[in-house]
Amino acid sequence: MSEQWEPRIVAFFCTWCTYTAADLAGISRMTYAPNARIVRVMCSGRIDPQFVLKALADGADGVLIGGCHPGDCHYQAGNYKALRRYILLKRVLTEMGIEPERVRLEWISASEGDRVQKVMNEMAEQIRKLGPLQLERPSQPHRLLAKEFEVIAVRGGAR
Amino acid sequence: MPETNGAPKIGVYVCHCGVNIAAKVNIPEVVEFAKTLPFVTVAREYKFMCSDPGQELIQQDLREGKVNRVVVASCSPLMHEATFRRATAEGGQNPFFFQMANIREHVSWVTADGQKATEKAKALIAAAVRRVAFHEPLEKKRVPVHPHVLIVGGGIAGIEAALKIADAGKKVYLVEREPTIGGHMAQFDKCFPTLDCAACILTPKMTQVRAHPNIELLTYSEVESVEPYDLRNFKVKIRRKARYVNEDTCTGCGLCAEVCPVSVPSEFDEGLGMRKAIYRPFPQAVPSAFTISRRGTPPCQAACPIHQNAQGYITLIAHGKFREALDVILRDNPLPAICGRVCTHPCTVNCTRANVDEPLNIPALKRFVTDLFPDYKLPQPKVNRAERIAIVGSGPAGLMCAYELRQRGYWPVIYEAQPVPGGMLSVGIPAFRLPRDVITQEINRLKEIGIEIKTNTPVGKAVTLEELRKQYSAVFIAIGAHVERKLNVPGEDLPNVWGGIEFLRRVNLEGPFNLGKKVLVIGGGNSAIDAARTALRCGAEEVTIVYRRTRAEMPADPKEVEAAEEEGVKMIFLAAPKTILGNKETGVTALECLKMKLGKPDASGRPAPEPIPGSEFVLPCDAIIATIGQVPDIKSLGDKLGLETTKWGTFKVDEMTLETNVPGVFAGGDCVTGPDVIVNAMYAGRKAAISIDRYLNKLDMRVGRELEGPFKPTYTVDTSGVTMQRQIPMPCIELARRRTFDEVHTGYTQEQAIAEAKRCLDCGICCDCRLCATVCEAKAIDYEMKDQFQEIVVGSIIIATGFKPFDARRIPRYGYGKYPNVYTALEVERMTNASGPTGGEIRLRDGRKPKAVGIIHCVGSRDRNYNSYCSRVCCLYSLKLAHLIKERTGAEVYNFYIDMRVPGKAYEEFYDRMLEEGIHFIRGRVAEVTDHAMTPDEEGKLVIRAEDTLIGVIRRIPVDMVVLAVGLEPQADADEVRRKFHISCGTGGFFLERHPKLAPVQTFADGIFIAGACQGPKDIQDTVAQAGAAAAEVLSLIDRGFVELEPNTAFIQEELCSGCKTCIPLCPFSAISFHSTKGVAVINEALCKGCGTCVAACPSGAVQQHLFTDEQIFQEIEGVLSYV
Repeated sequence: MSEQWEPRIVAFFCTWCTYTAADLAGISRMTYAPNARIVRVMCSGRIDPQFVLKALADGADGVLIGGCHPGDCHYQAGNYKALRRYILLKRVLTEMGIEPERVRLEWISASEGDRVQKVMNEMAEQIRKLGPLQLERPSQPHRLLAKEFEVIAVRGGAR
Repeated sequence: MPETNGAPKIGVYVCHCGVNIAAKVNIPEVVEFAKTLPFVTVAREYKFMCSDPGQELIQQDLREGKVNRVVVASCSPLMHEATFRRATAEGGQNPFFFQMANIREHVSWVTADGQKATEKAKALIAAAVRRVAFHEPLEKKRVPVHPHVLIVGGGIAGIEAALKIADAGKKVYLVEREPTIGGHMAQFDKCFPTLDCAACILTPKMTQVRAHPNIELLTYSEVESVEPYDLRNFKVKIRRKARYVNEDTCTGCGLCAEVCPVSVPSEFDEGLGMRKAIYRPFPQAVPSAFTISRRGTPPCQAACPIHQNAQGYITLIAHGKFREALDVILRDNPLPAICGRVCTHPCTVNCTRANVDEPLNIPALKRFVTDLFPDYKLPQPKVNRAERIAIVGSGPAGLMCAYELRQRGYWPVIYEAQPVPGGMLSVGIPAFRLPRDVITQEINRLKEIGIEIKTNTPVGKAVTLEELRKQYSAVFIAIGAHVERKLNVPGEDLPNVWGGIEFLRRVNLEGPFNLGKKVLVIGGGNSAIDAARTALRCGAEEVTIVYRRTRAEMPADPKEVEAAEEEGVKMIFLAAPKTILGNKETGVTALECLKMKLGKPDASGRPAPEPIPGSEFVLPCDAIIATIGQVPDIKSLGDKLGLETTKWGTFKVDEMTLETNVPGVFAGGDCVTGPDVIVNAMYAGRKAAISIDRYLNKLDMRVGRELEGPFKPTYTVDTSGVTMQRQIPMPCIELARRRTFDEVHTGYTQEQAIAEAKRCLDCGICCDCRLCATVCEAKAIDYEMKDQFQEIVVGSIIIATGFKPFDARRIPRYGYGKYPNVYTALEVERMTNASGPTGGEIRLRDGRKPKAVGIIHCVGSRDRNYNSYCSRVCCLYSLKLAHLIKERTGAEVYNFYIDMRVPGKAYEEFYDRMLEEGIHFIRGRVAEVTDHAMTPDEEGKLVIRAEDTLIGVIRRIPVDMVVLAVGLEPQADADEVRRKFHISCGTGGFFLERHPKLAPVQTFADGIFIAGACQGPKDIQDTVAQAGAAAAEVLSLIDRGFVELEPNTAFIQEELCSGCKTCIPLCPFSAISFHSTKGVAVINEALCKGCGTCVAACPSGAVQQHLFTDEQIFQEIEGVLSYV
């Protein structure tokens, strides 16, 4: 990593609209800020507020959530569920002393590659302005140890 | 498949994708990094991982036991996940021990800086490694594909796909919203580049569709909803719009259209020609059945309490079909001659024409017809029944009720207290407005169909209500409101102080009598005006109306007020009576009044008059007529039935059914509502008749009665562009004769009636005159037809809904809609067609042949102000039109283009041919089309001003005709359709394909395909090719018979489930239920579609989703954040 601090952003995108839009941005070679790492979920309704908290706790300075436009959800209404959780989550974050602007929800349809570019750039800029998220974190919190993997190995896979 | 595969040994394979990834991401660095990640045993790079040798790398490592889980860092999983899962499976592992890191679309293609890209790639690979360690073996579920297919849109794309699939022996439902299939192609004359006739190649296919045993053709139908039938198939609800013509029995003979009096611009001819309200878009339409355009009840009819079909008789009058007009009038109204004179015409109040200039004089038109046929008869009842019904009162409510009952076969007997029948019509309304012989004739017509009227028979004296109830099957009380309200001022009992109705009754029954010279009329309603005008006719020299509010608040009809003023009636506003002065001997001598001012609105919404203290003034007079309202004379009935009344002294009834509290006794009209207008009384009469009929037949009294009485129309008619034409004034007798009781209005002449009727705007399109039914030998016309719904189950859907042409009005500088000789290409297309509005002749609006024609390209296309895309077909169809115009008219043709875009087989050659034919080409976007002439050559021409960019000058080309090559746009409701089918729209609003090259007719919704111009502008050739591709996709699905579904369903870990039921209402597919004995939630895997909403909501983490467990996503989060 370069010496200069760079915002670290985790993005949760639904597979049908926003993840596809991010693919379209790529196919269209739209360059944007490299700070966000995209985690794909089937629907924005799958995004558990814990994912956001976990990302922030593990070193992310911001979290971006992307779903289909209202009325366009592949599963009818998952994006509305995401919206409700998002609103509640922002209040929780405020209570915890985390700037709610670190978390952003965006509706981006599969054809809006340009919007992915715009939002990614805006998000990086926004987090850059807010600065690093100063939470007390273990220095190397989650470099999985071989020992932990043994447990997995014994269980044989995920479970 | 083993449930586990031992400790994770992860292989990471980084793809160069040629230079796509390798040029940006430092791949050797990434590979070295991958080797440091936990449990990574192998990390390799390769130029194309998706190639056979690339996949072989993975398989070999798997087979050799070096790895048991695979991460491929390459392109998007939406692209190649399936490929690498297959490779994993072929290497001997469960395909789901695989994870993909998207380092092309999400990294190398979008990141400017190589170092940053490398870091991002590392993070994504770390995430995939962490995740894949937690993957578990899964199996794909097979779901059968229903073999039936739905095709939406009956243009050439839909037709082609339907025939292909049906020929393969599969069942196809073809839904088209227009009355015929054929789409835009049916409108064309010739097709480029071969100039073959569009109809010659299209209509045989249309006929084939109709005749094909495997195609169920649903025209004039729209998809209402699409719902999942199971995990893969669709339940589709189709609205079959009522075409009011039975598609199966209509022979398409066209006699109906010949008699139909309503003409509207033909959509098929782009408004250049007219069609009838009952129509077939074009002769070769499939199906050949006609369709009636009905927009819904017109505003006039909707506003009428008895729903008199005004548009119907008005249209017939406009066409000189007066006898037919009378039949339409008599359908709803047994008292038309009366209504034509004295109805307060809510129809006219709501007439759409009022938005243009003035409403139609609808009652005058009705009166014209009844005057023309003074000997008309009412229809004889078709049935007879035994029951007799007593009706108390022979006013409009009683008469209407009697008529409606008689038509249903009952025998009504009307009891009338007065010596003449008609109620307020006879005793309240003066003869100069409603001649007595008109009333007599109307009542005689009612008597002729078997209605008995007993005059001079007051119920309560001559016969009691109880007797009526015993002797008759039902009783309808409609005694009106004849008792005068009191002024409650001193002196009211003096001689020569009259109640308005008392005065009018005496004049009407006994003839005019002398009131004195100066008469004051108190009140502002229609009765006040009637009383004042009658007083003049009784010889009064000066008649003055005293009203406590202002003219604006007067409830009387403004036209009646004007008529009264014309006759010399004076008005004093803002004055209320205080004392009537005079004595018993002299009678009244004067009226003392108080001046009033207007205050805040009262219960009626009008400003309440407030007295100004000390403002008394005296008006000397010889007589006073007080017309301030009436109440029903309930006491005179001597009622012992115990009928309930209200505090206003009216009968208390059920508003919908007019039932009183006594079974079998109904009441309506003024005795329920208080003083009201005639048509409302008639409405009450009809309502009572319906209720009595239901009561006697023991039917539900309330069901289906919502639309009785006035209602708001469901639409508004666009009146833009309608030429002003004011109402034809009603002819009157000369002023000198208006001291007699001769009827003031003399009625329209035939010419006047026709001229007035022609002002009608045909709001409802079909005027419901029903002439078509009289000529239809196949008896195919059914006015009562309702929209039907059909539910089907299909496994595949092809959407082929086409395009709409760009609206040229949006570019005003090209003059479309302003200069008559500026046409759109589609309009010229219709003109060139032999079956078009000009029979194939290319003519200007005035019929001349054009000598010079300019074709402007790219109208609405390649223009950031409108659509930035190229519409692809315009250059070629412009060439085609240029050829046809030159061939048919010999005109000089100028093409104004930006670039000639003619790629495609034989297209360039077609362009060359046009160049050789001598068609002019000017390169440059047109600035404007104007009729402003700068030289004598330009006089009377349209001048096209454009820059010729090849020679660098501004040119002005005078032409006779301008053709706008309008672009293609998505259908206006494309967004609505997209939502219905859960597909996406791309840029420009056209439906989005899954992949432009690899899946050009697939959508992101499984089983739903797109074909033709709804996916993007394209010509017929490409459309047909796409339709074939979509058909092939569908056929391959059906022949395989099943699809494999991603095993990403949710599942419950019962030991963790607390039974809180949070998840249950969240599931959009109702896949979760509650197991009451176990006390846990249960997921029906056959319904779960794998969104994961329930998983995110479970407070105890008991619900998990295969492929997206909390643990897997947590690992992924840690992965992206912990290593780079």
